[in-house]
Amino acid sequence: MAELRAAWAIALKDLRVLGRYPLQLTGVVWLPLYQFLLPSILLGSTFLVGERAVGLQSVTGTADMAGFLFVGALAASFVFGAFWGIAFPFKLEMDSGTLESGWLTPTRPETFVLGHTIASYLVSTAGGLLLLAVGAVLFGARYVAASAAAAPALVLSLVSLIGIAYLISAAVLLIKEANFFVDTTSFLFSVGSGVLFPIAVLPTALKVVALALPVTYALDLLRAGALGTHPLLPPLWEYLALAALAGISLPFGLWVFRRTEHRLRVRGTLGQH
Amino acid sequence: MNDLRAFLAASWKEWRVLRRYPTLLIGMLFWPLLLPAVYVLQAQGFAGGDPRAMGAFAARTGTTQVAGFLYVGWSMYMWLSIVLWGLGTSLRTEQVRGSLEALFLTPASRLVILFGPVAAHIAVALWMFLVVGLALVFGFRLSLTPLSAVRALAVILLAVPALYGLGALFASAVLRFREANSLVQLVRGVFTLLCGMTFPIVVLPEWARTVAMTLPPTYIIADIRAVLLAGVRMTELVSDFMIVGGSGIVLCVLAVVAFRYVEGYARRGGMLAQY
Repeated sequence: MAELRAAWAIALKDLRVLGRYPLQLTGVVWLPLYQFLLPSILLGSTFLVGERAVGLQSVTGTADMAGFLFVGALAASFVFGAFWGIAFPFKLEMDSGTLESGWLTPTRPETFVLGHTIASYLVSTAGGLLLLAVGAVLFGARYVAASAAAAPALVLSLVSLIGIAYLISAAVLLIKEANFFVDTTSFLFSVGSGVLFPIAVLPTALKVVALALPVTYALDLLRAGALGTHPLLPPLWEYLALAALAGISLPFGLWVFRRTEHRLRVRGTLGQH
Repeated sequence: MNDLRAFLAASWKEWRVLRRYPTLLIGMLFWPLLLPAVYVLQAQGFAGGDPRAMGAFAARTGTTQVAGFLYVGWSMYMWLSIVLWGLGTSLRTEQVRGSLEALFLTPASRLVILFGPVAAHIAVALWMFLVVGLALVFGFRLSLTPLSAVRALAVILLAVPALYGLGALFASAVLRFREANSLVQLVRGVFTLLCGMTFPIVVLPEWARTVAMTLPPTYIIADIRAVLLAGVRMTELVSDFMIVGGSGIVLCVLAVVAFRYVEGYARRGGMLAQY
């Protein structure tokens, strides 16, 4: 119970810090819009035939290009939240010299990850829903209410993402100068999950990698529910894969994080950066 | 002569700083290759193997070389990022490091402080263009002749004053407002959405096309695509070069004027060392 209160306090602290930088907060919506969504929609409009995305329809089963991309943006907001909002704060704590003092409190180090997760997922949920609204209002995306049935898939993928965030946090603590690492891995993870294009266009080897990522399945089920796209696998299989990935990644990530933290304490390099 | 030596020293200093961060050069290998590749895959998804969709793309862009079209556009995005994050934040970086006052106390011309880092950042940009060129030739089998490569290089060099004038102007704005991140995102966002980096500007609404035609990167992207993908000769692009060259002169003069204003503002307010 005390750990949960600590996690909540850490989350509130993160949210208060974020609230101090309102411009940075608007980036949750503005950045994906200008960096990925609008360039993608404009590229897609280059392929339109009589205002219809006939090519996209033949690959995915939907001609709703905006819907396809904005549902992808919802998933991407959680991926970037896991990498930048959960794992990267350790780098910021290192830089500001507060990592060691935080870890000297009776709170367990893994609780810090949990606290960052709560704050990050709250921000990602708000940002993702705002993006979906922008897609619907400004770009004519049409989501079917049945997509809510895919919510458990999203929840399972978020559990997996916490495990992955533990892994990335361990890497951040080890690498120290982790900006490039987090930037590249978050980008590869999100595009590998199919946020920008249908997985079907990937070469076979990369398709195998994509099928090892939990967000691939959650996104696939969300798109199938919201837009009527053809799922990659039967939905039951996708749920089983999601449950298996969550069952593996969370304990494995936690184990790696604890090992890394112990190693850094032994070496006395925890606060170095 | 002394100013020239100071200019060379400033360039050399910047290059030495850049070399200290190998992840930057690795990034210049990774991002120019991967970022456009993602959009090539996306284009495949949008085309879906449907000849009608590919026909629509060819009609709107004037080429069937999807990879070439996208790689050129994204290399402009990368170049703009190098300019804004490099030259554009150089004065602010000196301010944060606490070395801006020391620079202003040297007898070197203010132009050295403003444009000194340019040469080092041009070297990084040329490395990025080389990576993109090799990716197109060996990864996507784009048939680039030596002549078209030389023409593309000429377009890039002609664009240098415009791009770096913009960067220097931006550097003064960053120094004045003491905020780099949001300004980079804002300016880069505007250019990304208007200059046709992933799309031909014909798909933009008319008002946006009009704005796009006032921005030098629109011409630079179109001209590099023209010489590389359509085999257009340099003489056919003279009017574009005049616009880009003229913009370069105007932007460089504006940058110097803005820099003088910001310097006066900062010295009067004692803000040179504040951040």
